[in-house]
Amino acid sequence: MRKETRVKNRVKLALAQMSSKRGDKQENLQRMEKMISESRDLSAELVIFPELCVTGYANRDQVYELAETVPGPTTEKMEIMVRQKNLHVIFGIPEISSKTKGTLYNTAVFIGPDGLIGKYRKMALPTHSVFEEKRYFRLGYEAAAFSTRLGNVGLCICYDLFFPEVIRLTRLKGAQLIVCISASPAVRKEYFEILTAARAIENTAYLAYVNLVGVEEGLQFWGGSRLVSPTGKVLAKAKYDEPDLVLCDVDFGDLRPAEAFIPTLRDLRPELFDQLKKEAENV
Amino acid sequence: MPTAVSPHRQVKWLKLDPSVLEMDLVETSRRVIRFIKEYVENSGTEGVVIGLSGGVDSSTIAALASRAIGGDKVLGLMLPEEETRCQEDIDDAFKVANQFGLKTQLCDVTPVLGSLYKAIPVFDQSDRLCKGNLKARIRMVYLYYYANKLNRIVCGSSDKSETMIGYFTKWGDGAADIYPIIDLYKTQVRRVAAYLGLPKEVTEKPATPSLWPKQLAETELGVRYEILDLVLYGLEMFMDTEEIARQLSIQKEVVDRIKARWLSSEHKRGVLLGPKLGYRTVGADFRLPRRMY
Repeated sequence: MRKETRVKNRVKLALAQMSSKRGDKQENLQRMEKMISESRDLSAELVIFPELCVTGYANRDQVYELAETVPGPTTEKMEIMVRQKNLHVIFGIPEISSKTKGTLYNTAVFIGPDGLIGKYRKMALPTHSVFEEKRYFRLGYEAAAFSTRLGNVGLCICYDLFFPEVIRLTRLKGAQLIVCISASPAVRKEYFEILTAARAIENTAYLAYVNLVGVEEGLQFWGGSRLVSPTGKVLAKAKYDEPDLVLCDVDFGDLRPAEAFIPTLRDLRPELFDQLKKEAENV
Repeated sequence: MPTAVSPHRQVKWLKLDPSVLEMDLVETSRRVIRFIKEYVENSGTEGVVIGLSGGVDSSTIAALASRAIGGDKVLGLMLPEEETRCQEDIDDAFKVANQFGLKTQLCDVTPVLGSLYKAIPVFDQSDRLCKGNLKARIRMVYLYYYANKLNRIVCGSSDKSETMIGYFTKWGDGAADIYPIIDLYKTQVRRVAAYLGLPKEVTEKPATPSLWPKQLAETELGVRYEILDLVLYGLEMFMDTEEIARQLSIQKEVVDRIKARWLSSEHKRGVLLGPKLGYRTVGADFRLPRRMY
């Protein structure tokens, strides 16, 4: 993995809200390539795709056939694509551990013009209602923030947003732009619209949220991708329910006034985390 | 001087009154329409076949399907039989079909039923339930024959109320390829129907599966849908029966009876059941993504 040196203060993002054809990686990579080209034409520097966009979300037992190591074939294809276009990309894929044959992760992959920057394995796996992620995926154990020439970018996935401690950890690792990729069905829309703003405010970080659209197994992914400011304002928003490509700007210069006005990071109480750990073990 | 006290305005999150079943009719309709459209488009078929009875459920399906894929791709099959035939229902079905541009076909299934009554060695004319189920299953046969022949899918019109309490015939009116309104309670279906512009005589018609003459769902169930739907909603939300009864000011025995009916009818909604003998078992832990067709 390659570490990039930060030089940028403003970054142009493309929120690539796509629908995925379940089980068809070739088709989905073609869709992604098209959106990357369109984003490049619009001068985007970071293109963000949804959770598990390479394979679709609800593949159930078939996920074992679709998962790949990271790095692996899809990562390599994306590296070539991204190098040619000279931009950065984040996307979701089911990852198989390189140490075992049957241990999978729900992973976000971050690639830049010089190759793979890093990956993040989803820490909060929903296994309730229509979700059965713990059936297939192992929990991730590490928050992710990567220092790149675009700035310090953190990664999280979908249900992670329900856990302030996950996003707090990502922020404390240095992320000033937190990217949340998602495959959220419409019945959860209102929660995400609140939580994206809440997580942005309490961490005074930009939060870019990119969700799937389309229908799988009766689940309708609601889209609604957005960029939220460090003060919780929605700066850009994609359509609901339909594929969309939204260009938007992150200005890291806005972080200082936000942090001065909402000094939650300054006012953090580390000793509370010890109490939190103790109480959480006894729920 | 005492401080003025504002009236208590707290809204209980889970209060069982009709407002809990309110929904955004535009959004709900759009989602159902999108579901039908995407399914049919990806299925590689020519459209859908629906059983059109003139009742609110099938009429609502007719309207939604026609908006999703165009009326010319929706075939409404009317399948009356002599014993329960109601001209008013047939007229209503044609009215709905015309309103939404559906194709229709009327097939009187009386001769087929008559032959079956004679052919089945143990057929019992006095057993209303068995005879009624036979009618529902014959209708299913017609729907699936048309679907096979015309390369279409069968679009079911089961609603959430009937499905939850098992008020349908297994492999009869409960058999279909997709169920677009299966997550809407009866009272919600009526609201969607009105929103879609269906005639009042349809939206307010008492529900009946028409398995025997003068059969009315609410009489048979012993409770109006306005109450049943709230009981079912409470059960859906994991509420205990005592609390449901208290909030609705009905007897706990009524709620318990509904709950028992809900739980005992899971066999009608469930997947294929057999003993687990293999590594992965169909119906248990053999979980595949569903192809469209």
